[in-house]
Amino acid sequence: MAVWDLSVTLEDLGAEAPPITVSVTSDLHIGGVILKLVEKSQVRRDWSDHALWWEQKQQWLLRPSWTLEKCGIHADARLIFMPQHKALKLGLPNGLTIRVRACFSGSVFRTVLGICKMLNIRRPEELSLLRPVEEKKKKKDKDLSEEVYDLTDVPLTSVSRPCLYNGMPAHFADSPKTEKVYKMLSVPQPAPAPEAIAKLYRPASIVDKAHIHSRCTHTHTHTHTISTFTSLCSCLLSFLLTHITLATPLRWLDSSRSLMQQGVQENDRLWLRFKYYCFHDMEPKYDAVRLTQLYEQARWAILLEDIDCTEEEMMLFGGLQYHINKLSLSEPQAMTSTPAMDDLDSALQCLEVKLDVGGSSPQDLLDNLTAPELNDYLKIFRPKRLTLKGYKQYWFKFKDDSISYYKSKEESLGEPIQQINLKGCEVAPDVNVAGQKFCIRLLIPAPEGMNEVYLRCENEEQYSRWMAACRLASKGKSLADTSFQSEIQSIRSFLAMQQTNPSTNSSQTDDNINTHSLVSPRYSKKYKTKQLAPKILDAYQNVAQLSLTDALLRFLQIWQALPDFGLSFVVVRFKGSRKDEVLGIAPNRLIRIDLGVGDVVKTWRYNNMRQWNVNWDIRQVAIEFDGNVNIAFCCVTADCKIVHEFIGGYIFMSTRSREQSDTLNEELFHKLTGGHEAL
Amino acid sequence: MMDDIDAMFSNLLGEMDLLTQSLGVETLPPESSSSTSKEVNFTMGFADMNVESLNELEENDFDALMADLMADLSATENKLVAELEEQKDAKVANPDLPAPPRELSSYVVPSLSTTTSPDTGLNTTYTPLADSHIPSFSPPQPPQHEKPSMEDVEAQIKSDKIKLALEKLKEAKVKKLVVKVVMNDGSSKTLMVDERQTVRDVLDNLFEKTHCDCNVDWSLSETNPELQLERGFEDHENLVDPLSAWTRDSENKVLFQERTEKYEVFKNPQNFYLWKKDKKTLKDMKDRDKELLVEENFCGPSIIVPDLEGVLYLREDNKKSWKPRLFLLRASGIYYVPKGKSKTRDLVCFVQFDNVNVYYGKEYKNKYKAPTDFCFVLKHPQIQKESQYIKYLCCDDSWMMTLWVTGIRIAKYGKSLYENYKTSMAKAQLTSAWNNRSTTTTSTPSTSSTITNAKASGKANGYAPQPPEEPVANIGIEPPPPPPLPPAQILPPHPTVKRSPSPNATTKKLPSLPTKYPPSQATIFNLPAPPLSQDDISFLPPPPDSDFPLPPPPPDPAFCPVTNRVPKPAPPPRQLYMGADVPAPPPPPPPSFTPTSSVIKTAPLPPKRTTPMQAAPPGGGDFMSELARAMAKKRANQ
Repeated sequence: MAVWDLSVTLEDLGAEAPPITVSVTSDLHIGGVILKLVEKSQVRRDWSDHALWWEQKQQWLLRPSWTLEKCGIHADARLIFMPQHKALKLGLPNGLTIRVRACFSGSVFRTVLGICKMLNIRRPEELSLLRPVEEKKKKKDKDLSEEVYDLTDVPLTSVSRPCLYNGMPAHFADSPKTEKVYKMLSVPQPAPAPEAIAKLYRPASIVDKAHIHSRCTHTHTHTHTISTFTSLCSCLLSFLLTHITLATPLRWLDSSRSLMQQGVQENDRLWLRFKYYCFHDMEPKYDAVRLTQLYEQARWAILLEDIDCTEEEMMLFGGLQYHINKLSLSEPQAMTSTPAMDDLDSALQCLEVKLDVGGSSPQDLLDNLTAPELNDYLKIFRPKRLTLKGYKQYWFKFKDDSISYYKSKEESLGEPIQQINLKGCEVAPDVNVAGQKFCIRLLIPAPEGMNEVYLRCENEEQYSRWMAACRLASKGKSLADTSFQSEIQSIRSFLAMQQTNPSTNSSQTDDNINTHSLVSPRYSKKYKTKQLAPKILDAYQNVAQLSLTDALLRFLQIWQALPDFGLSFVVVRFKGSRKDEVLGIAPNRLIRIDLGVGDVVKTWRYNNMRQWNVNWDIRQVAIEFDGNVNIAFCCVTADCKIVHEFIGGYIFMSTRSREQSDTLNEELFHKLTGGHEAL
Repeated sequence: MMDDIDAMFSNLLGEMDLLTQSLGVETLPPESSSSTSKEVNFTMGFADMNVESLNELEENDFDALMADLMADLSATENKLVAELEEQKDAKVANPDLPAPPRELSSYVVPSLSTTTSPDTGLNTTYTPLADSHIPSFSPPQPPQHEKPSMEDVEAQIKSDKIKLALEKLKEAKVKKLVVKVVMNDGSSKTLMVDERQTVRDVLDNLFEKTHCDCNVDWSLSETNPELQLERGFEDHENLVDPLSAWTRDSENKVLFQERTEKYEVFKNPQNFYLWKKDKKTLKDMKDRDKELLVEENFCGPSIIVPDLEGVLYLREDNKKSWKPRLFLLRASGIYYVPKGKSKTRDLVCFVQFDNVNVYYGKEYKNKYKAPTDFCFVLKHPQIQKESQYIKYLCCDDSWMMTLWVTGIRIAKYGKSLYENYKTSMAKAQLTSAWNNRSTTTTSTPSTSSTITNAKASGKANGYAPQPPEEPVANIGIEPPPPPPLPPAQILPPHPTVKRSPSPNATTKKLPSLPTKYPPSQATIFNLPAPPLSQDDISFLPPPPDSDFPLPPPPPDPAFCPVTNRVPKPAPPPRQLYMGADVPAPPPPPPPSFTPTSSVIKTAPLPPKRTTPMQAAPPGGGDFMSELARAMAKKRANQ
């Protein structure tokens, strides 16, 4: 058999180094080529991670026993000998960047599996990688200064079963540096500066054509023929303005092909995100990182208005963020305590509760019998009553869940002029710090309707106490409740926020968070700080008692209850239709949205789906539903592989709940999402 | 006449005082505090009867109330007994003696059954019990010698006493209401409802009193004639709370009726979650798909609210006009779209659900000139009269109204709604299983006849069958209430059907029971005590644990006069059952307690219970029979 020369570039020698030429025969197998190559290079090192990459064909030669003939390699082949694992900059949902060693040769699905294993994120099938939104070149300099958490030193082999050590996976507990990384992963990040939100918001909202073009040139893989937006009508653009997620499917990587095959280079930047919006079996005890990152992704989706929510919902999200920020700043120890201790603690707590006969120990009862009270001179005003014009001063007593008032302190032993029970009432602040006005507005339910009452306090101190008491009483809690002090505290800190003094505003101390960083720019613009703070405080006091984990879960719950939750949008053209429409892909259904009005035209549910087919030649997806319903569409903004992967992926996710075993059925995932590569 | 009855009540209270004091003498001084608290408890009960004054009670109500009171009384005794035991246990405190509780308890039940009979002297009741302490335990002295010092023991006793007294004080705060419930046939029943009781508890109680089919649609609802409103209570709500909002002169009513829309969303979720689809698709929905829908929307990490949107008519404040607006339902509230604004971004909050309930408005076309009669209302539960704070909405048709009201309930109550449904379902299945069984075995009058006998002979309307029920309540105290079982497990054929569930069946249903109480005859007597002595919960307020209804569980005979108005003294037993509107005379025990009460029915208790009654001379000079006579007289006068 004829001997011929094969030239192979050794990446480790540098880009300028000439390729090494080895003489081979066609029946030599890949393993043999590598052996010859290594011998000839005369470099002594561990080559076990290296493999051959065939540049023209954009494919790896990973089967050592295949012969060159079988692979179809001839003398003109440009081969590169390089490591399969390379460094990758990974943008996390929390906005920070880590450097990890990722697998460039396996499918992206596999790569994500490896990354998640290292980061200690369970259920990695829910995540995937995508290309970041292009940032303008000018910002590059600033990007360099951004802190990058380096995890490339963590040996991949050590990341096996995540055994916890010191509350974190063993491979994070090695050094203070990695411990810091783990803390970054598992504790929610402090609120971003409002300017930062606005900055991030702007590039996404101005969807100009040039911007989209630049992305096209970047994704230089040949399979991703991305149509430009130039053909789209202006109404589409207006729609894009409201639905930023629309553009994201472009950027999801194909999970059945490798990073190298999709043109990702060493040290490139990719984003790691939750892609499929069904989060199976969330267990806060094991899912510290997963829960935190999911929260971060949800928070950013809300702050950047990726998902619409109403003002009331936004204030609740704001209140929760405020609470979460406060907790994650104040109790970082809680996250790092060992789980064994947690178990013991909770067991002890359980025991205590049991011994305590439902929390009614003699001590408690005694405490209840001698409930604390508030006594002060306050001014009262009833807008409806004509007899009382303006505020009038009385001696007020707050006990249990009622307010009583007397003519004077001396008469407080007798019958009160009136007693007001606050249970079920609405409490609202009526405060102007600059004007030294501290009023509490009470709406007290009565059979005839709601009675409006204003209580005016002298100063912040008095106001905080009475306001806290009113809030507790409206929820049926007494002053003896443990939350009374913390309630006072939070009212004080929100009062401080309303101070119009600019110096306190700019210096953002820990307990003086700028409320504008808790809401999206839309509401930032709409309200001034002193208008925003009471709204957020109002929402906050409903969640102030939650633990960090519960607050995170609550945040996710409300997010998941939003009508548009879980929708990924693709612009498509339905068969037989002449205009572009939007296909929304949700965890349980597909929806067809009219581009002009934004209305949902039709909904199809996956559990009525008989089958779906992709015609890879004409790039058309055809779906058949029960009752002879057939739809077919071509994708305008994304490759049909992405739609195919979403549908298959969601069907795969729905099979998990039924499967009791914890093992990931990778083969099934590949079958459902792989497309023609899977065949 | 009424004065007589009132006097009788105060008499009764005095009697209770006596009872508790006599106990105190026997055991420990601080018991006196308990007796006062007990009194407070009852006076509170009456004082709180703003729903209905005692004088307005009809005689059948009166009977029921008496039954309730007696249940309270006996429960108190039961508890005191348990406390006594506890005290003794504390004294003995010998870990090597696992037996005592069981032995002791065997005395408890008989003593109980006798106390409730009107004729037995109350003081004497406890003599067997008091005696039993000494012989059944290894005499108190030896263990005391083993104890480190007498001081310790005394300190222990002292702290226990304090604890007890405090418990009593707490109990005294428990609010009770006498509630008249209007049944679906127009008749009414009167119940005593404790503020800790949920609507579910009260429903269970009513199921036993009525022997209805217990299906999931049965519900309690309130009406407000002044505002022409109606609202079905949710099963997890406390009944006392909403009733406390009624005004003193309120004409509001509590109804016990079947409401098909109560859980319709779980039976046909497609009609709510896929309401935009065409009618035929919805009708042809496969069961599997329905289950999936329920799972998707109620079993995930967050509850999904149907995405309702549509034009509703809003009643303008204090005006007679109704203005159409585009409303949307979200988990966080109802929103509307201002004119000319976008549906996605400019929603304005119309109402959030934290402080309001949703009501059906009746005949608003007439009352408020509404476009249709399909109206619903959102208001704070405290508001009872016309007010600007009430929000009135009107829908095009009844279906849209059901959609909106149900959607709002889902948004407001979330997961509780589904939990309620599951509990109701389990209950209904259990009951239908029982009914199937009892229809095959209607020809076994043995148990029922003993009950009627007891009734006839004792002339005690209402309280006669209590003793056997009492243990039930105690079992209920055990933390997990008996898990409702799928019919399959209950149904296995039993050759002898007299005693409804075989002991085996019982052990299956109550996994915790067998270990503690082997399914022998002795079990029956042991049942009440172990939970008491092992569990501090028994220290809690008198009769019921929140799991179980307070009023005297469900004496069948007691219910008869209510619907029937059978003239009191000694009605013929047969007639009783025929008269009652009960399709199948229910020899099987009341459904809600099926697992546990079955145990009781198997017991030779009924004879025990009847004996003292028969022994008692009817018309004897004691208080109880006097009461009975007075009531008979009252009826005769009418």
